[in-house]
Amino acid sequence: MSRYLAIFRTFARACLVRDMTFRANFLLECLTSLGWMSMNLAFYLLVFTFTPEIGAGSGWTKAPFFAFVGTGLIVNSIVQALFMPSAEELTEMVRTGGLDAVLVQPLDAQFLVSMHRVDFSSFANGLVGVGLVAWAVPRLEHAPGPIAWLVYPLTILCGVAILYGLVIMLAAATILMGRNQSLYDFWFYLTNFSRYPAEIYAGPWGGPLRAVCTFVIPILLVVNVPARVLARPLAGEAWWAVVTALLAACASLAVSRAVFQAALARYRSASS
Amino acid sequence: MDNSASRSKSESTPVIEVEGLAKEYRVHDKPEGLAASVRSLFHRTSRVVEALRGVDLRVGRGEFVALLGPNGAGKTTFLKLLSGIITPSRGTARVLGHVPWVRENEFRRRFALVMGQRNQLWWDLPAAESFRLHREIYRIEPSRFTRVRDELVDLLGVRQLVLQPVRELSLGERMKLELVAALLHEPEVLFLDEPTIGLDVVAQHTIHAFLRHVQAERRVTVMLTTHYMKDVAALCERVIVITHGDILYDGSLADIVDRFTTHKIVTLDLDEVPSPARVARYGFPCEVRGPRVVLRVDRGRIAEVLPDILRDEGVRDVSVEDVPLEEIVAELFRSTRTRPVGAPAGAAP
Repeated sequence: MSRYLAIFRTFARACLVRDMTFRANFLLECLTSLGWMSMNLAFYLLVFTFTPEIGAGSGWTKAPFFAFVGTGLIVNSIVQALFMPSAEELTEMVRTGGLDAVLVQPLDAQFLVSMHRVDFSSFANGLVGVGLVAWAVPRLEHAPGPIAWLVYPLTILCGVAILYGLVIMLAAATILMGRNQSLYDFWFYLTNFSRYPAEIYAGPWGGPLRAVCTFVIPILLVVNVPARVLARPLAGEAWWAVVTALLAACASLAVSRAVFQAALARYRSASS
Repeated sequence: MDNSASRSKSESTPVIEVEGLAKEYRVHDKPEGLAASVRSLFHRTSRVVEALRGVDLRVGRGEFVALLGPNGAGKTTFLKLLSGIITPSRGTARVLGHVPWVRENEFRRRFALVMGQRNQLWWDLPAAESFRLHREIYRIEPSRFTRVRDELVDLLGVRQLVLQPVRELSLGERMKLELVAALLHEPEVLFLDEPTIGLDVVAQHTIHAFLRHVQAERRVTVMLTTHYMKDVAALCERVIVITHGDILYDGSLADIVDRFTTHKIVTLDLDEVPSPARVARYGFPCEVRGPRVVLRVDRGRIAEVLPDILRDEGVRDVSVEDVPLEEIVAELFRSTRTRPVGAPAGAAP
């Protein structure tokens, strides 16, 4: 484990050196990312000029909702910074045979495929997320207690693990298909469901969708569970949500691992 | 077991053992035209292509083996199987006692693969950064890492390049640094896939000298695929010719000349451009280039023919050579081309 951490540090260091080599590009990426996020925040502020809460009686008033958005930004920035750049590069690696070089190295291929690139500019969004949470928490109706503050990072890790499992399964699809240029699009469509409180998925269509996005592809647990831990009293149903998130994270890691190994066994490489 | 017995056993045990190794690919036929393309969305026809057909092989420690074959013969597929990148359809293989496609770390720490057409160094960073990463991945002790790295960069004369971003280097410089990276962990087996492709003559010579040195000093077992016969002549004692996924020839470089050629090349430099009648007198197929005449003389008749030629007062100089290796190998490839096998380029999906 310590060896993998050392190697990850070396990867991260190399990526940072590269980012610093192309400073203008790095700054532009930060600005683009922050700009897109600012537009989203402006949109949410606009929504709250018309309504006091998202969904009548849902409890997602302005402060809890911005704690939700901040939590989402933290989870997504971790995934975007640590895993997505490598996963996006995988499509090209499979198509050109670059994956060959990964498979001959004495390291876990999944680790190499998913963590060899770090996009430091994505952490900018995470910092804004932390800022949003810091702004929202003093304005919450129920201030989170010490246990909530302990459980909150754990559930964030669960959310990251669930998303990581999805990234790995998409990567496995890339290996099986030989080419999967819609990987990032598909990822975007999927994670879109995690950006809003689960309460909005109600009614004849919303109910089944909520069940699928909770128990089949547990995308709704990614942000909802940690945001609830922070914004609502931690009791009863909330604990079940935490346990569900933990189980979903474990299942996501285990299933994605099995799928990835099966995909590697079927890797065909590319002509030289 | 005493030390000498153990050493003797390790010397005699093959480093690479392959039996009945085969790789098949299912490839989809892509029909021509829009309508056919739309139809292929719902119904696809496919066929099985045999990239490698039951190959048997043993390679001993310290051998330098060339894998030759036309494009699509199965050379690279063979190297990919031996390095565990892909899994076979049938057959077995052991490299350093390991089944390659199980991909054990213990095995992967003991070999290296260099692909001439693919860059394995970090593109935007100096090679020194890739070397540092390599040290972590292969768990190379720092003092050993420094010693081996310095030795390798000095041998290839690239010390001044290790701090320059890889993207700014020439192809030859890049390949030299790829070789350094591949050898930092002192592998026992080295797979080289066209390492000199696209390189100028000077770079080729430097790499030849380097590989000869490394192989001799460290008793590394090397398998090399190449289309350049100069690589083979400079480096390899043993040659394996693969065509259509089968081994057509496995033997020494000297034997390939004896076995697949019936004649030698006799070149005469005359004092004037010869008349057609004078050329016809030699009685062998020949080519006239000004005052130079190139004869293709049956190997068995050289001793008989040469005295006659030397008696000709108009002959200023004579040389007798084997048929160039390129020509022999090209003829070998051509002779197998009539077989009805649809091998694709390498093993492309």
